[in-house]
Amino acid sequence: MTVSYNGLPVLNDINLTLKKGESLSIIGESGAGKTTLGLSIMGLVEGSCSGEILFNGINIPGLQEEELRRLRGREMAMVFQNMGDALHPLYTVLDQVVEAISVHSRADGASLYKKALDLLISTGLDEKTANSYPHQISGGQKQRAMIAMAMANNPGVLILDEPTASLDAGTKAEIIAMLKNMAGDRITLMITHDISSAAIFSEKVAVLYGGRLVESGRTEEVFSNPRHPYTRGLIRSYPDLSTTKDLQGIPGRMNHGVTGCPFHPRCTQRIEICCRETPKPENVNGRVIACHRGGIVPVLEIRNLSKSFNTVKAVQNLDLTLYEGETLSLVGESGSGKTTLARTVMGLLNQDKGEIFLEGERVSGKTAKFYQRVQMVFQNPMESISHRMNVLQAVREPLDVNRNEGQDARKELVRRVLDEVELPGDDTFLNKYPHHLSGGEAQRVAIARALVLDPKIIIADEATSALDASVQAKILRLLMSIQEKRGLAIILITHDIALARKVSDRMAVMINGVIIEEGPSARVINNPEHDYTRNLIGYTRNGKI
Amino acid sequence: MRRALTFCGVLQMKKGFLFNYLIALVIILTLNFILPRLMPGDPLQAIYGCEAMIVMTPELKAELTRRFSLDMSLDRQFQSYIASLLRGDFGHSYFYNVPVSKVILGCFPWTILLVGLALFISTGLGVLAGVESGYRRGLPPDRFLLGLFMGLSGLPDFFIGILLLLVFGVSLGLVPLAGAVTPYSGQGTAAIVLDVLHHLALPLAALVLSRITAIYLLTRNTMITTLGENFIITARAKGCANHVIRYRHAGRNSLLPVVTAAGLQLSHLITGALFVEIVFSYPGLGTLLYNSLLTRDYPLLQGILLLATLTVLTVNFLVDIIYSKIDPRICYAH
Repeated sequence: MTVSYNGLPVLNDINLTLKKGESLSIIGESGAGKTTLGLSIMGLVEGSCSGEILFNGINIPGLQEEELRRLRGREMAMVFQNMGDALHPLYTVLDQVVEAISVHSRADGASLYKKALDLLISTGLDEKTANSYPHQISGGQKQRAMIAMAMANNPGVLILDEPTASLDAGTKAEIIAMLKNMAGDRITLMITHDISSAAIFSEKVAVLYGGRLVESGRTEEVFSNPRHPYTRGLIRSYPDLSTTKDLQGIPGRMNHGVTGCPFHPRCTQRIEICCRETPKPENVNGRVIACHRGGIVPVLEIRNLSKSFNTVKAVQNLDLTLYEGETLSLVGESGSGKTTLARTVMGLLNQDKGEIFLEGERVSGKTAKFYQRVQMVFQNPMESISHRMNVLQAVREPLDVNRNEGQDARKELVRRVLDEVELPGDDTFLNKYPHHLSGGEAQRVAIARALVLDPKIIIADEATSALDASVQAKILRLLMSIQEKRGLAIILITHDIALARKVSDRMAVMINGVIIEEGPSARVINNPEHDYTRNLIGYTRNGKI
Repeated sequence: MRRALTFCGVLQMKKGFLFNYLIALVIILTLNFILPRLMPGDPLQAIYGCEAMIVMTPELKAELTRRFSLDMSLDRQFQSYIASLLRGDFGHSYFYNVPVSKVILGCFPWTILLVGLALFISTGLGVLAGVESGYRRGLPPDRFLLGLFMGLSGLPDFFIGILLLLVFGVSLGLVPLAGAVTPYSGQGTAAIVLDVLHHLALPLAALVLSRITAIYLLTRNTMITTLGENFIITARAKGCANHVIRYRHAGRNSLLPVVTAAGLQLSHLITGALFVEIVFSYPGLGTLLYNSLLTRDYPLLQGILLLATLTVLTVNFLVDIIYSKIDPRICYAH
C-alpha cells in the first residue's frame, strides 16, 4: 500500500497482515505516518491511496463512499487521539455514543440509550459523566467515552490512535488493561509512540520510519533484541524503570522524500547502497527487517578464543560479539583475564586458539586496515603516551602510520579531533608534553589519539579508573556522545559494575578467563543469574553513598 | 437528540445577565429623558419644535408644562416621565394630533412582520447556503454561490428595492407598487393573508437580499474551519452520512457565530427597513419615522427611537438565551 498527499508520499510499500484476534502496535516517531496508516484502513485518508487494503476480502480503497460508510463504525472503528476536540463540543457524551449506534441500526430510542449507557458504564464512566458535555469531563474520561463510541457496534477491527497519549500513568494502565480485555477476538491495531503501552498491549509490533516499515515481529523479541538501528534508537530514547544506561537519542531528524533507505541519513552503519536503493523488507524467522545490512551488524566477533601464559589460562574458549553502536562492558575482578582478552583482540598478544572477525572478515595478523577500525585506550594515559612526544605528535602518530595525507591536513585532523574531545587545538597546547597535562587532559589526548583514525570500535581498558569521579563522568559522557553521533562500538573493560551499569547496553561478567554471564545491562543488574554477579552487585550496593 | 439533563442556560446566569440588560435600559431611558432638557431654550420648544411654539396658546403651554411636570425639580420630572411611560403614554403627536402610542401601534406590527420575517428568512437561507457552500469549498456550486452573494452585497438595500419595484412591479406588474394591504378589499381571512403577503413580497425580498450575504459568508467561513476539527473525523469514523455530518456536526457548530451576528444585525435591519419601507411606501415604523422627521414631530420621533432601542435590547436578550441553549459551554464562560 502506498499513500500520498498531493503527490508527496507519506506511506510507502506497507505490507501487513493481521488475523482475527491478533493485536499489532505501530510505533515510530511523530510524522512517521502512523496515523495516516490508521486513517487509510478506515478509508478516511484525504490523499490518494494505491495498493490494496483487504478486509475480509473486500478492497477498501476500491469501495464507494456509501459502502465505506456502512463499514465504518460497524465493522471497523477507530479511537482517535485524545486531542481535546475529538468529541463534538455541543452534544453530551451519551448522545454521541447513541449516534454511533443509531447510525448503523434501527433500534428505538429507549433501547438505544440503554445500550449506550451500558457501554459507557462498561468503560468505567458513571451516568452523570455520561450525561455531561465533553468540556465538563477529564481527559481520561474523554478517552473512555471515545472507546465506548468505537465499541458501539462491536467492530471486528479496532484501531487505536495514541489511546494513552497525555494520560497519567495510573489512567494509562487502567485504559490499556481495559482495551486488552475488550480486544477479545477482534483485530486490534494500536498506533503509539509509547513503547511501554505497546509492550503491554500487543503481541506483534511494527516499527514505522519515514513512511516505511523498517522492522516488525513479536513484541517481546523486538523490544528485547531490536535488530534495526532505528528500533534500537527508539528503545534507547525511551526510559522505563529498568533502564540503566543514560538516555541516548537518534542523531539528526526525520526527513521525507529521502532516496534509498529512509533512515540512512541518520544511520551510523550506512554503506553506499543505503543512499541509493530502498531496502526490501525481508522475513527471517518471523522477524521482518528492511535493512541492506540485515539489521545491526556485529562489528567484532570473537570465537572460541583461548590464551594462556605458561600454566595460567588467562582466557578460555571465549565467545563474544560486539554490535555496531553499542557499549559492551566487560566486568570482572583483577586477574579475570579482561586485559588479556583486550590485548589479544588488539593483536598485542597472539592467541593460542580461536578466531576474531572484524565486520564479518576474519582477522589474520596485524594489518593497518584493522587498526583503522579498532583502537584502544589504555588505563594509564601518562604511561601510554610517549614522554618524548608532544600532544600534536602523539595524536598525529596513528595518521603518520596509516595515512598519506600531507602534514597540514593531518594537523587539521588533529585539531578537529581535539576539539571533539573538548581540548584546545591551539599551538601552545599542541606543543605540550605529557608531563604538562593533568590526568584528565592526558586521557583525553589518548582518546583523541584513538579517535583520530575514525575507528568503528574502541576498546577502553580501565580507561577512567585512574581519574577522579568528575573527570571520569566527563570522559564517559564524551564517549557516549561520540557513540550517538558516529555509531562507535565500545568495549568497556572495568571492575566497577556501577559504572558499567550506567554506560553500557550489554554486560559480560568475566571470571578466570570465562564469561559466566552476559546480557542486557538492565537484566544483568536487576536479575543476575550467577552467584558471582550477585555478590559483585552486593558489594557495590554496600558501598552505597 | 435529547437535551442535556442540566438545563443550565438561563437558570444559572439569569441574575447577572438580566442585570446587564437592566442597566442598558436605564441608560436608554435616562438619555431619552435628558436629551431634550439639555437642548438650549425651553424644553417644551425642544420637545415640540419651533413651529409648534408659534401656534401654541398660553393655555396649551400651561397644560403641557403641567403634564411634563416642567415646573418641578428634575428628579420629580424623571419620576413623572417614567410613570407616564409605564402608563404607555409616550406623549402627544402634534402632527397626527393623537397620542404617540396610538400612532406607533398602528405601524409597529407591519414593521415587526417585515423585519421579523426578513431576519428569519435571510438567516435561514444564509445558513443553508453557507453550509452547503462551505462543505463543497472550491467546487463549482461553492464558487457560484460565493460569486452570486458577493455581487448582491455590493448593492444597497434601497437600490435593490427600486430595482425589484421596477422589474416586478412596474414592468411585469406582478405585485402592487405600494402599501401593505389593498384598502377596503378585506373579505375572509385567507384573502386578507394573501393580500398582505402579496404586498410584503417585494420589500421582504429587498431586505433579505441585502442581508443574506453577511450570514452566508459567516456560515461558510465557520463551516470551513469546523470541517477541519477532529470531531468531524470522529463523526466520519462512526459512519455518519454526509448530510448528518454537514448539519448535525459541522452545521450546528457553525450556527454559533451566526446567532450572535443575527442579534447584532437587527439594528442594521431596522435602519435598512427604513429605506425599504420608504421605497415601497410600506406603512411601517420606517415610513413613520421619515414622516415624523419631515414634519418635525419630535414626540413621535422620540417614541419611535425608544421603541426601536427597546426592540433591539429585547432581541439581544433572546439571542443570549438561545445561545446558551445551543452552546452548553457558554454557561461556564465568564
